[in-house]
This record gives sequence, C-alpha cells and structure tokens, in this order.
Amino acid sequence: MRKEGIKSGKVILYFLLIVFCALTISPLLIVLSSSLRVPENMQSPLILFNQFSLQSYIEAFQKMNFPTEFLNSLVTTTGSIILVVLLATMAAYPISRIKSRLSKGLYYFFIAGLIIPAQMVIVPIAQTFGNMNIPNTRFTPMIMFITCSLPFSTFLYAGFMKSVPVEIEESAYLDGANLWMRFSKIVFPLLKPATISVVITQAMWIWNDYFFPMVFVSKSAQYSLPIGMIQFMGDRENPAQWNILFASCILCALPMIIAFAVLQKQFINGIAAGAVKG
Amino acid sequence: MEMQKLRRRRLKGSPIFPKKMYAFVIPAFILFLTFWIFPVFQLFYYSFTNFNGINYHFDFIGFKNYFTLFHQGTLINSIKNTLIYTVLIVVGSNVLGLAVAMALNMKLKGKTFFRTCTFLPALFSAIVVGFIWSYVYMPDKGMIASLLELIGMDGSRFNVLGDFTWALYAIAAVEIWKSFGTTMIIYLAGLQTVDESLLEAGKIDGCTEWQLIRKIKLPLISSTITINVVLSVIAGLKAFDYAFIMTNGGPGKATNTLMYTIYKIAFNEQMMGKASAFSVVSFIVIILITISMLIFMNKREVEL
Repeated sequence: MRKEGIKSGKVILYFLLIVFCALTISPLLIVLSSSLRVPENMQSPLILFNQFSLQSYIEAFQKMNFPTEFLNSLVTTTGSIILVVLLATMAAYPISRIKSRLSKGLYYFFIAGLIIPAQMVIVPIAQTFGNMNIPNTRFTPMIMFITCSLPFSTFLYAGFMKSVPVEIEESAYLDGANLWMRFSKIVFPLLKPATISVVITQAMWIWNDYFFPMVFVSKSAQYSLPIGMIQFMGDRENPAQWNILFASCILCALPMIIAFAVLQKQFINGIAAGAVKG
Repeated sequence: MEMQKLRRRRLKGSPIFPKKMYAFVIPAFILFLTFWIFPVFQLFYYSFTNFNGINYHFDFIGFKNYFTLFHQGTLINSIKNTLIYTVLIVVGSNVLGLAVAMALNMKLKGKTFFRTCTFLPALFSAIVVGFIWSYVYMPDKGMIASLLELIGMDGSRFNVLGDFTWALYAIAAVEIWKSFGTTMIIYLAGLQTVDESLLEAGKIDGCTEWQLIRKIKLPLISSTITINVVLSVIAGLKAFDYAFIMTNGGPGKATNTLMYTIYKIAFNEQMMGKASAFSVVSFIVIILITISMLIFMNKREVEL
C-alpha cells in the first residue's frame, strides 16, 4: 500500500516538475525557435521550430559586430577576474591570519560595500574619474568591476583561509620561506575551491553587466556584448525585427551558455560554496 | 623585563604573521576606498548643492533638495515600490527555489536536466532578459497575449506593463524568473547536508511529510535560508534593471524604484544635487532595512 502511495507521489512530482520546467524555459524556447527563422518569416513565434535557417544569425552577427564585442567582453572579464583574485586573496590573507581589531575593522569595511548599489554612487564615481583624468575606453569599466567584486571575494577568501592550517605555514617559516613565498606557494594553491567560486560568480555578473560599460564606454567599437544589445532597444516593439533581435539575444548569451555546458559542475559547486561559506 | 619583552612582541605581532602583512591589504583598500566608499561621502556633500554635473560653480542650497523630494512625493513612491518589489523577490525566489530544491533532493531521474532548466535564465544578461520579457508581455502579439488568444480569450486587452497596478508585479516576476535558479542551487547544497538518519528516525516516529519538512529539514537549513533571504533582500533593494529596460519607471510612476529614480534624476534631468539627496535618503533606507533584517534573522535562526 505504502509503496504504491510513494510511486503515485513520484509520478505527480515528475509531472509538476516537467510542467514547471516547461513554463520556465518556454520564453527561451520561443526565442530560440524564432531566431532560427529567416528575418522575413513573420509567422507567430508560438509555432515552434518550423524553419531552420541561420540567416537571422548572420544579420545579427554583423549588426552587433560580434567578434569585436566578444573580444571586448572577453578581455575585460578575464582581466578583471585575474586582478580580483589577486587583490582579494592578498587582502584576505592578513585579515584572516592576524587576530586584531584592525583585521575585524577591515573585514567589516569590505563587507559593508555589498549593500551599496552601483546606481546610487555612479555620479560621484564619474566625477572622481573625471578629476583623475581617466579616459573612457573599453578598459575603464574594469576599475569598477574589480572594485565591486572585492567585498564578496575578500569575504569568501577570508572565510576559506581560516580552514588552511596555520601549522603548514609555521613549518615553512622555519624552513626560511618569506611572507610572499608562503602566500603564493602554500596558501594560494590551497584556496582553489574559493577561487573557483569567485571566478564563476564574479565572471557571471561582470560578463553580463551593462551598467558600467553604459556609463564609462563612449565609442561603439569598444562596446562589450551586453551593452551592444542596447542598439536593439527599439526593435523589441517591432515584430518585423524579432527574428534578428532574438538571434542577437542568443548570440549574446551563447558564450555563457557554452561555458556553463562545459563547466557545469564548477558552476553549481562554485555558486553553492560561495553562499554556504559566506 | 619579562613584561617589556612580551609587550614588544605583541606590538610587532607574531614572528610568523608580523604586522607588516597588512601591506597586502593596501591595493584592495585604496581601490575600494577611492571608488566605492569615498563616493558615498561625496553624495552627502553634493546633496546640499545645486550641482548639475557640468558646471563646477555650484551653490550650497542647504536642505532644499530634500524638501523638494518630499514635496513631490517621488521619494515616498519610490520607497514604497522598492519595498513591494523586494518583498515579492524575497518570497518568490525563496519559495520557488526551496520547493524545486526539495523536489530535486529526492532520488529522481533527470535531476541534472531539471536543474539546468531552472538555472538557465541566470546565465542571461539582464538586458537580454529584459528584451525577451518585453516580448512575452507585449500586448496583442506577445507570448502571453497570443496564448490567451489561443485559448479563446481576448489577448488584445492584455497589457500588463501598461497597467498601473500590475506593472510592478510583472517586472518583479521577471527578476524572480532570472534569480530563483541560483537560490535553488544554494538550497540544494544546504539540503544535501541534512543527515538522512534524522529523517529516517522521524519517519519511524510516524511524522507526516509536512512535519518532516517543518520540524527537521527547515530548522537544519536555517543558515541557508538566512543567506538566501539576505541575498534576495540586497538584490531587491538594488532593483534597477527591469524598470530601466522594460518600463522606464512607467506607467506614470508605477515602477519607479529607488535606483531607477536616482538614475533618471541624474542622467535625464541632469540634476546631480537632487539625485545625491535622493541617494542619501535611499542609502539610509537601505542601511536601516539591512540592519533590522540581520537582527531579525539572527534571532530567528536561534529560535528555529
């Protein structure tokens, strides 16, 4: 009796999950199916996958200048992430190793940054950039990407570093290793799970962020993928442009989707570890 | 003598972790101070001026910016919208995330598939999500309108983004759609730490499924709940993307959130002084909510 109850329960559960997942991804399916039509095909987008053509993709590819925008995104994201990992591990090292009021103060100083929204401080930041004569180039948003990633990353690294035993460092100290050697050769490699978490979570927001590039990049040739999408803003009201718009949406998201497909385990563990340790 | 030695040692710190280690913090500290903390203080300064962002010969006008904001009612309206939005996000993401996580935590086939489906929206940029949902919500030809037509209802009257009451709920739904997958993954990780034997013991004692959830699972993942709620509250208070991409704060002022209003005053109206005053008030609101939430969550975690 009981077994049967569990079985029918499972069937209901499967049914609910399938319906729920179908609802969740239905907008994405429609976008995908429409993007595979020729631009002139104006049939209702609800008729799924009735044509397979890359024509819309070719036009979107040219209109958004995909190779340039992709490269801009890649360079700024990679550069920011490398610097965040370096700066955040360095900052977390003394904060977690020295027990003092200063460490505690610095710890809360960095965490406090988590609650400050970018839109709130963007005016004074832009003023500071102006005063320091920082030009608007494709690299300018990197300063803000790094700054905004510091609170979370430092917080996470400080938490993880507590699990790295002090004894290892003590024996290295007795063997004559200096501070920098201990940090780079012993502590940093042991922080790998935290680094994966920082890289995944921070790369996800930096890659997808359009706000800082919108404020700090002026030439369209220097746009990254998300900010390049702004030129399509008017097209979403116009069904005649939908197929190309949808193709550009997919193109914009494609690098992230491929990264997720390849590194699925790291994504899931990285996100979970980031929140649980934090 | 002994005392002095000890004192000196304490001043220098331990030989393995000397005080000079703090030099490691300097690069991050300078960057963070210059581009994140210092601007917050500048906001207070600008909020008492009529600075327009271009002309540096601005005047100090006292509390005038603050008075204007309260008089126009923009402030109260934006705070109200942001709070509603935040509550919707917190409840929506966490209820959906937790429910899906609990379902996926059972021994199911195709777990990876379901997990991928619910997480997929999190990979998209907010701007792309805004475009896709502009289509979903579009009157007449959009996805929901067409579906309504299909089942014989009048789709042309469906215009949720143009509706004063529903527009805010509609953009909150978009944010939930994008974020609940992430929440779900965090809950899933929390649920996996729950000891199976406790659940077995509960079953032997004749607990119903609901009692198992309420009395065993939820208390054991209370720290995960705290994290997810805190993360959603922070995200909700920062609400900007979909008001900016999908509704421009409209119709009327129905979807003006704190952050979107600041952006609008600063960049569309070019009134930096007023925008700064608005930011200062927003900042105070955000701090008050965050602190009271942390106190509440800490208490709650102990109780559970």
